[in-house]
Amino acid sequence: MENIKITGSRGVFFIPSVDFNAETGVCEISGESYLEDTFQFYEPLINWLKKFTAEAKKPILFNIKLTYYNTSTSKYLLDMFDILKIYEDNNGKVALNWYCEAEELKFVEEDVEDYMIQTGLNINIITTN
Amino acid sequence: MKDTNYISFYNFYKPYSENVHLSFKGPLDKNVIAVMGDLVNRNLGQNKVQGKLIFSVFIELALNISYYSDEFVDYKNPDKRIGVGIVIISEYSNYYTITTGNVVSNHNIKKIIDKCNTINSMNRDELRRIKRDMRRLPSGTHGGSNIGLIQVALTSENPLHYDVSRIDESNSFFSILVTINK
Repeated sequence: MENIKITGSRGVFFIPSVDFNAETGVCEISGESYLEDTFQFYEPLINWLKKFTAEAKKPILFNIKLTYYNTSTSKYLLDMFDILKIYEDNNGKVALNWYCEAEELKFVEEDVEDYMIQTGLNINIITTN
Repeated sequence: MKDTNYISFYNFYKPYSENVHLSFKGPLDKNVIAVMGDLVNRNLGQNKVQGKLIFSVFIELALNISYYSDEFVDYKNPDKRIGVGIVIISEYSNYYTITTGNVVSNHNIKKIIDKCNTINSMNRDELRRIKRDMRRLPSGTHGGSNIGLIQVALTSENPLHYDVSRIDESNSFFSILVTINK
């Protein structure tokens, strides 16, 4: 399986960085997400996760390090978490970490709680300074 | 038509000069929104978090106009339909305001008013619950999330203020004002 590596940028649109590694099972999305076509960007990531969880059978460490994402991005994050939850329910090993700066904890806590309620996944919040 | 050479722009600019940080009227193309959003994010707010809250509300409200305004340009390509509207960001001593306005057909206006009233009647937990429920629904026709306005209310932590002015038998003008406390 191939890895996905996208270097994010803040040009006109805010493109997040993506690093999905099929050898290590470490997947990371970082930066900011406001895209011209959100579906077009996230669809390959969702398909990669589906394929990885179906074929690789390795533990997944999923790190979210997004500092901004708009509401349409939030739907695709949910789609990815759903895939992780199905994997976990089928005895796959999943760890999901959400990184945020201490001053933004109040908002991130709510978002993360909403995702946990919605998916049944456990999400660890890791605060940075 | 008047000879535009004799129009002083100062009369137009003056009421804006005191509190307004940014104003835009025209087609809210996603590129335009991104560029203005970046300026907002980097320059407004008394700290980084506040700047991000203003930015986040601005993006969602501007995208709503881009997707749903009933006044639009299509630049000869119906797939590239871009909603027209007005956006103003202002600062006052205790808060910032993000105000947007756009034409809505009378056919659609009740739906928007109902949505605003429903949002205003809910407490934070109820808003979060409908946000979760609606996030499960398929995306809108333009790839929108359908939860923009709910997220705006959650971000603002204040009621949504709105107004409807009837233009004619077909259309109305919908204005919405959102505050971010300092």
